[in-house]
Amino acid sequence: MSAGAFAFFMNVPTLIFLGLVLAYPVIYAAYLSVHQVGLAQLRRGVFAFNGWTNYGRVLEDPLFWVAIKNTSIFTVITVGSEVVLAVLIALLLNQAGVWTSRITRFLILLPYAIPPIANGLIWSFLYSFQFGFLNRILFTLGLIDEPINWAGNPDTALYAVTVPYIWRTLPFAIILVHAALQGIPRDLYEAAAVDGARAWHRFWHITLPLLRPIIAIILVLRTAFAFAVFEEILAITQGGPGDATWVAAWYSYKITFSPPNNFGMGSASAFILTLMIGIVALVYMRLVYRRVTL
Amino acid sequence: MFATSRTTKLILHIANLTVIAFILLPLVAVLIGSIQSEKALQADTRRLLPLEFTLDNFTVILTKGEQKGRIFEQVTYLPDNIKNFYTAFLNSTIVAGSVTILTLLFGSLSAYTIARQRFRWTLFLLQANIVARFVPVIVLMIPLYVVMRSIGQLNSLSGVIIAETAFLLPYAILILAPYFDTIPAELEEAARIDGCSRFSAFVHVVLPLATPALAACGVIMFIISWHELLIPLILNARPDVMTLPVVIASLVGDVHVFFNLMMAICLLALAPTVILVALLQKYIVEGLSAGAVKG
Repeated sequence: MSAGAFAFFMNVPTLIFLGLVLAYPVIYAAYLSVHQVGLAQLRRGVFAFNGWTNYGRVLEDPLFWVAIKNTSIFTVITVGSEVVLAVLIALLLNQAGVWTSRITRFLILLPYAIPPIANGLIWSFLYSFQFGFLNRILFTLGLIDEPINWAGNPDTALYAVTVPYIWRTLPFAIILVHAALQGIPRDLYEAAAVDGARAWHRFWHITLPLLRPIIAIILVLRTAFAFAVFEEILAITQGGPGDATWVAAWYSYKITFSPPNNFGMGSASAFILTLMIGIVALVYMRLVYRRVTL
Repeated sequence: MFATSRTTKLILHIANLTVIAFILLPLVAVLIGSIQSEKALQADTRRLLPLEFTLDNFTVILTKGEQKGRIFEQVTYLPDNIKNFYTAFLNSTIVAGSVTILTLLFGSLSAYTIARQRFRWTLFLLQANIVARFVPVIVLMIPLYVVMRSIGQLNSLSGVIIAETAFLLPYAILILAPYFDTIPAELEEAARIDGCSRFSAFVHVVLPLATPALAACGVIMFIISWHELLIPLILNARPDVMTLPVVIASLVGDVHVFFNLMMAICLLALAPTVILVALLQKYIVEGLSAGAVKG
């Protein structure tokens, strides 16, 4: 068998799966987004073409723009804090002489094991106004006199849902930075120490520049995934109070699966979300392809 | 590598304790919540540690609601889905297990060709996989629902397995490809000279060497599949084919479910992947960095 034929046959299963469950549905979603599709039409299987109507209705919907605004705030907060925390904690894990760092290193991957929906429910227990664990801790420490309604207050709800998300997804970023730190040659630091550079200077002039490629990758990956946050929203706030935590994925989900089940508009809004993520994905591909290896 | 004066060390210890406290906070909450009664939670809303210690929450879930125990004696309403715990646990195991096997099987075939056979289309396939990794489930939920309906795979475990395999396949390929790239090609060439076919050189020479990568990829696939909510939520509505995340999600909007019961079922659902992470940490760390950096 020739190399080409062999390579082709090895990829037949992958091509079938990707074609059936990814490529075809993406095209089909595009098709649905320019047709009028409700439950009745879905049952009959006949959809009337309605051009850009679905997109028009999505873009005219004030709730959609609230969702986009909330998603953007959510993304900036989660991705920003994750990058900063990941670098700090990875440096902390790297301290060979500090015995508590070994405990942290042992525990660091734990949040990765928690199902997102369970994570959401656990935090909704933590945040609960009446029975919440967080308020209990603060009462016990004597920090508050009245319970705080963390996720039920429109002013704080969006910030409240960022914390569980950061908690769950931070290990991934820490692992990547920590792995990159291992790749920095020791003698760079030794040379700097001979030159009398202080710790802060060594971080700023050696560590940080060498971490830049991995930080860029984390930024892009986490941005793409934070745009599509769903489980924590479902478990903690269901978009509420009011529209304070409506995010883009929640918008598509609600438009589609709660009455009046507008599949066309749901597809259109999901497609706008895809477009935003697609731009991020292209940036990622350029990063990976430039291969700024450490 | 940093100056280690006593003050610096103290600051680093405090930083570590803060991080540890943050990691453990939700886990302590779920533990304490799951061993309390509804009454105890309501009785004193400022108390940190439980007034009482009870395993009734677990008993009621694990006996499908038959043994209600003391704290549920007067409770008339229990969500049906709580009673389906065993079915859901079994379904989750079947789905995650099958998805792991299928993604490893098909993923290694593709990853190997991408790493070894440098054609223009294999490069294109790699790029397609990188882009596919970004496609959020939410975008495909409607067409996926329609496609699965038309091939009769709604309300079935096989439908969920097919969909999740396709969603995870690109990620599996991205984790495996860089590893195959590091295996020296001379080994297969030697096997080929000895009369092995391309395929049997792959199966008998390359795959055994790739065991660490297969372990890393497999455990990551199992964890992601065990956690997946949206795909089974959209495709399966019947209780007998629900997975654990769907059962947990169904409690969110339920008429009356109290935190103690929710925390107990969350604890039971997160236990398997916590055990996996504790045991196979090294592999997961390797897989995560391979899949993100070396595309």
